Formats: sequence, C-alpha cells, structure tokens
Amino acid sequence: MSVVLRTEGISKHFGGIVAVDSCTVEVQEGSITGLIGPNGSGKTTLFNLITGVYRPDEGSVLVLGRPATGLEPHQICHLGLSRTFQITRLFWDLTVLENMIVPVRKVGLRPLFGPGMLGSEVERALDLLERVGLTHLKDEPAAKLSFGQQKLLEFSAILMSDPDVVLLDEPAGGVNPTMIRFIMDLIRGLNKEGVTFLVVEHNMSMIMELSDHVIVMDQGRTIAEGPPADVQENPLVLEAYLGS
Amino acid sequence: MGRFVKRYWMFLALAVLLVYPLLYRAPYYHVLGFNTLLVATAATGWNILGGYTGYKSLGHSAFFGINAYLVAIAANKLGWDPLWSAPLLALVVASVALVLGWIMARAKGSAFVIATIAMLLIFRLLALNLKSVTGGAPGLSQPLAPWSPELSRMPFYYYMLFWLVVALLVSRYIRRSRFGLGLLAIRDDEGKANMVGVNTTLSKVLAFSASAYFIALGGGIWSYAQTHIAPIFAFNILNDVDTVLATMLGGLGTVWGPVLGAFILIPAADYILFKFGASQFHLAVFGVLMVAIILFLPRGILPSLRDRLAARRETSSAFAGARSMEEISDDRAADQLEVGEPYPP
Amino acid sequence: MSFPSINVLIQVIVIGLLTGGVYAVMVSGLTLIFGVMKIINIAHAAFMVLSAYFAYWLFSGFGIDPILSMVAIVPVFFLIGKVTQHRILAPVGDDPGLLVLLTFALAITLEGVLGSISGSTFRTVRTGYTSSIVPVQLGSDLTLRLPVVRLTGFVASFVVLGVLWLMLNRSSLGRAIRATIQNSEAAQLVGVNISRVRSTTFGIGLASVAIGGALFSLIFSFNGSSHVEWISKMLAIIVLGGLGSLPGALIAALILGVAEAVSAVTMTTYISPIVFYLILFLTLILRPQGLMGAKVREG
Repeated sequence: MSVVLRTEGISKHFGGIVAVDSCTVEVQEGSITGLIGPNGSGKTTLFNLITGVYRPDEGSVLVLGRPATGLEPHQICHLGLSRTFQITRLFWDLTVLENMIVPVRKVGLRPLFGPGMLGSEVERALDLLERVGLTHLKDEPAAKLSFGQQKLLEFSAILMSDPDVVLLDEPAGGVNPTMIRFIMDLIRGLNKEGVTFLVVEHNMSMIMELSDHVIVMDQGRTIAEGPPADVQENPLVLEAYLGS
Repeated sequence: MGRFVKRYWMFLALAVLLVYPLLYRAPYYHVLGFNTLLVATAATGWNILGGYTGYKSLGHSAFFGINAYLVAIAANKLGWDPLWSAPLLALVVASVALVLGWIMARAKGSAFVIATIAMLLIFRLLALNLKSVTGGAPGLSQPLAPWSPELSRMPFYYYMLFWLVVALLVSRYIRRSRFGLGLLAIRDDEGKANMVGVNTTLSKVLAFSASAYFIALGGGIWSYAQTHIAPIFAFNILNDVDTVLATMLGGLGTVWGPVLGAFILIPAADYILFKFGASQFHLAVFGVLMVAIILFLPRGILPSLRDRLAARRETSSAFAGARSMEEISDDRAADQLEVGEPYPP
Repeated sequence: MSFPSINVLIQVIVIGLLTGGVYAVMVSGLTLIFGVMKIINIAHAAFMVLSAYFAYWLFSGFGIDPILSMVAIVPVFFLIGKVTQHRILAPVGDDPGLLVLLTFALAITLEGVLGSISGSTFRTVRTGYTSSIVPVQLGSDLTLRLPVVRLTGFVASFVVLGVLWLMLNRSSLGRAIRATIQNSEAAQLVGVNISRVRSTTFGIGLASVAIGGALFSLIFSFNGSSHVEWISKMLAIIVLGGLGSLPGALIAALILGVAEAVSAVTMTTYISPIVFYLILFLTLILRPQGLMGAKVREG
C-alpha cells in the first residue's frame, strides 16, 4: 500500500498565529481517511497548504510521490489531487454542464484551443451528473441550483479531472440526513473505483462510519490517529474537543 | 430558429455596412464610419480580456498608441506600406503585451485596473520624451495614402471593416473554445479555476495579448488614416473610455455586444461633440452617460434583452408548452459554448 | 543629469517634505475610502480640483482666503460625499472594475463641468503671502528659504491628519470605521451600520480632500483637466503606503514629495512624473499590499 499524500513537518503562520505546526500526515492509497478536530485546529489551512493556496513556511508536500511544495494549485490538480471547499465554490454564471467541463487534468494545445466541449467529455459529464441526479439541470446556471444540488455539483465537477486523491472539506455541512447518506454512498462507490479520500468533517457519526483511518488535529498539530474506534476512545481527543 | 435569425441579421448588417460609404458620400460620413468601425474592433478585442476574463483594463489604448507610432516610424524610416505593416507590427506589440501581461497578471481587481492606467501614462510620457524617435509633443507625420483625395477615408473604412470581421471571428472562436471557457471560469472565480486545473496565468496573459493585438491593429490603421499623430491623441485614456463604454453598453462578455455598443455610442458621441464640443461640456455628458449605463444597464443591452426574451418564453411555455428548455438553451448556446462536434455519432 | 550642491539639496529635500505633507492631506481621504469600501475613488483628484475652484472663486470674488473659506467648503463636501456614496456608488455593488469605471465617470463629469464653466485657463490663488518666504537659519552658511504657503500647508496637514487620527482612534465612529476596515462582516455582526459607515467615510474622504484642495489652490495652478495628472500621483502614494493605511499614506507622501523634488532638480522636469508612475506600477506588481498593507494570497 503506497502513500498517495504526505505532508512532512509542514508549518504555516499568519502574523503571530501558528495555524499549522509541524504537521506530518500520511494518506494511504485507496483509503477513506477522516480529518477531524475542533474549530480552528488548522484543518482547512492544511488543505490550503496541500493544494497550493498557501506556501508553507516550513516542510514539504508530496502528492503521489511527486514533490508538490510551492506548486500552483492548477499544477497540483494536474498531479491528480482535487478538492472541494467548505463553502461551496462553483462558477455561478456558467451552466451545470459548463461547470463540469472546466476541470482539466491534462493540458495540451489541442484541448486548449480546440472546441469548447469534446463529445467524450460531455458524455462523461452527463454520466457523472446522472449519478447525482442533476442531468435534467445541465443547462441551468449553477446559481439557480439548491444548496444541496450545488454541493453535489461541486463534488461531481472535480471528479471530471479524474483525480486519484480527493480532499473533501465538510461535504455534509448544512445538508439533510438523506443527502448525507447519499454523499456517503457516493464516496464509498468512488472509493471502490480507486479514489482515495481525505475528508474533513464535523459530523462525527458520518466520519466514524465512513473512514478507515482517522487523523485528529488540535491547534495546528496532529494529536492522534488510528482506526475510528481507537480515536473515539482516545482521551487526548476528548480533551481537545471539550477543552480542559 | 435563433441561429437562423442571427445569421440573417448578420448578413443584412454586413450588406448595409458595405454600401454605406457609397450611399453617403461626404467625407464626414466616411470619417464617422471609420471611427465607429475602429472602436468596434478595439472593443471586440478589449472584450476578450475585459468581458470574457473579467480583467477590465483602462490602459490598453497604450497598445493603440504604440502601434500607431511603430507604423508611422516604419513608413518613414523603412518605407513600409502601413496596410500590411499595421497588422504585422501589431503582432510585435502583442508580443510585448505578452510580457507586460505576464508582469501584470499578479495584480488583481482594482490593483490591475490602476496598473493598466499607469502603464498607459508611462507610455505616453515615453512618447513625449523620446523626441528623437517619436518627435515629442508635436508628434510625427507619415506619407499620405497613395489614393486620390476624393476617396478620402473610404479605403480605410473598408480595410477597417475587414479587420472588424476578422476580430469578430476570432472573438467568437475564443468564446466557444475550451480556452474561452477557462476565461469565463476565471472571471467567475479565479481561485477556483486555478484549483480545478486551469492555468490561470497563461490564460490571462494570452487574453491580455489577444486584446492588445486588435487594439494595436486599430492604432496602426488609425495612424495611417490620420497621417499625423501626436502623443496626446495616440495615448489618450478617452480611447479606453470609448472602448470600455461601448462594450459595457452592448453587453460585456458577449460576442456582438461590443459592436452593438460601438455602433450606438460613437455616432451618439459624435453628435454630442457636435452640439456641446466647443467647451468641455461633452465630457460631462459622456460622464453622466457612463454613470447611467453603469447604474441602470450594468450588463449591457444584449444580455438584458436576452433575459427578457427568455423570461417571456418561459412564461409562455408554461401555458402553451410551445418552447422547450432545449430551444431556449439552444439560443443561449448560439452565443456561448460550442459543443465541438455534436455528441459523437 | 546635474548634481546640485549640498545646500541646495537640503533646501530641496525640506521643500519636498513640506509638499509631502500637503500630499498626505490630499490622499488621506482616498486611502480611508479604500480601506472601508475597497473602492479606488478615481474622482478624488477631480473633487480636489473642484474644491480648488471653489477656493479660487471665493477668493477672486470676495477676497476670502482659502484657509478661511475651507470652513464653509468642508461641510458641503462632506454632504456631497455622503450622498454620492449612498445614491451612486452603493447601488452598484462590489465589482471593483465597475466601481472604478463609475468613479472615473464621475471624474470626467466634473472635468466637463469645470471646463465648461471656467475654460482651460490655468488658475491659482495668489494671496498677499503667496510669494513670501520664511528664512530659517541652519548653521553658519545655510539658510533655508521656506515658502509660506508650503509651510502653512504642512502645518495644516499636521492638524488635519491629527484630527483624522484622533477621530479614528478615540471616537466611536472611528471604532466603527476601523472595525469595518478589518472585517466588515464581523463588524455588522456586532451592530455596526455598515452602509452608514460607508457613506460617512466617503463624506470624510471628500471633506479632507476639500481641505487638500484649498491648500492645493494656494500652491499649484490648475484647470479642469488637472485631475488626471494628480490622481496618478495620489494613487502612487496610497499604493506605496499600503491601500487603507493612513500612516502608510503619510510616510509614502513624504517619501514621494522628496523624491519628486529631488528628481526635479537632478533630472529634467519631464522625467519626474515618470518617477511617480513607475513607482506606482512597480508597487502594484511587486508588492500590491504596499509598504504597510497585509499580504494575501488568492485562494
């Protein structure tokens, strides 16, 4: 089993605040790894460091064995890592279908200057939209979708670039229980197809049920990791959440 | 249906434009026509960066001025015929724009706009000060066009019309291409576009340069038509205002918006200048017009029209079931993304 | 490029500092407006010229010194600012490109109006003390000759900046403004009326540029089109100082005042405007946050 994502001693501070403190994290190929921790523990910052939004002050990132520290976000996407955002980010003025087509893994001159949508891409997009039940909305502007539909669209769209590793930032945030089930099934289904997931979530039952492995962060550091059952019992984890 | 109607209007418009200088013979009309086509071309070019990508440059007329001077200097020193040197030297300018665009790509939002203004002002100062090359404030003359003065601006008019058509084809092509989709994504959410694999820097720089090309091209032809050029006219922020206002009026980010806007704005501006131009009052009218357009028609005429039509069709389809969602989206698709080939056979 | 003697250089630097002080007043409103509303008010210099014209008309018509007529002009400009922000800028929303265009439109409207009223003749306010010099003895062979108008401008700028500083740091309005600058969403949550803060800030911005305009009318000559040249200088200053930072604006204004003065005597006057634009351009590109702003990377 290889490591598809690794951060080594990665740190980031903003002014006086240390958001991420010498964090070393490993994600195993084919796993669904949960990343939990109280608010402000640095989870989203870690995501931003991995995806190239922030440059680390110290440490390094390896994506699928390739060095990714300091790369631009689109380069990291090309390496095979995609991510969703805590607050859903879509191209609001573009249609659902167009939102699906934008993500790209390989860029050459032909895709760049060729026609807007290749037939094969449209097929694939419609397939993915079918999976989440959004096909009938393909020509609607993304802004017109409901909250839940937008989350599904964001998730589906990033799959278009055929990522090997997907980072999900609170996929169940603000979503009803039926939809949570749906998303969990979706994640599991994709995981069986070979996609590795790193999921940040506050919904404990979801994370514990979904993950093979859980990492816990507090104040910018990892304080515990292991199978969900172990993590749940870990006193350090309880302390972090309840405060001392 | 939508697509057919569009084609019909396009050919009609082209026909009208072709016969216009023959019907209206006075030089005044030729000059007006030329200026309108010039701004239409510049606006179509500007729209690639300002409309599709969302980076509204207020200094792209720097490229207008640069090529105006390059063409004049090439005519004087090398005997180059501006008819072919204008498009050729515009390529040189576009290459310079690649570099400038790359430098400026880091700036976003308001910082970018100001940087473009600074760029324009720097080039104007250079034109004023490099006297040995540019002739300084009094400007530069180049040889007159070889055709008889009776034709006056007519050949320039047709030449400009040709390039307007080219610009429109390029703009349409970009709009419907994968590259164009990337630009639209950048306009919507640049960070997200970057995140999903769009090389935003490269895209922005290319858009910056493509815009510069058509604006520079206009500058070169203008230079030839004017015969005498000076920094105050070649590097004038009001050129940018014309371009930007025309695009916004017609519809930012649509293929035809800039042209429509130019065809309304330039004759109107000419009329305003005629009525109020003795003093500076025309500037005030212009300014108020701009404020009005921004406040009441921020998306421009075409998108607002389109929305109205779509809304009307939607209500009628609710009752008569006549038009389907597909037909409506077909209409939008006509101006938007082109599906390369229809889904594979 | 000719290098002047050390005495001349000191004189020039001091004049540059004095002028820089006046520049600081001119731009204080501009940087404040940006800090609160993220709007680059391209019309700022045009409003300054408007104020200068008022000062000129009141002086040539009624003999009122600009420093005195300021008292009447400032509240008027404050009101104009409030109304403009509320009625014209706020409805447009957040798009920085649109807002820049809008303020640009206001600028050329002002230019058009002023130009048609006053033509293109350059105006300036020449009072009894316009040509007066205050000699300041420094050591045995250096006497600085400080023009009274620039000295007055410098003193006035201290007063104005001091008042602004006090307002920002000691009043509840100031607290609301600072909160909005830091985080407008959070400020709203604690009860700050954002739209009021915005329109008031714009009012304060124009009020301070009204003062700037009065001082300006004593020192420089101007016509309806002068705003183009001056807005570039103003932008260069606030960008260098860090958009939204008042102390940054002061420092940058002083630096640029000196740089401008020194380059004017060491190089031809044509080049010194390039200095401003280049600084502006380079700052925007290399360090968009200026000297004192915070660094943000897009995500």
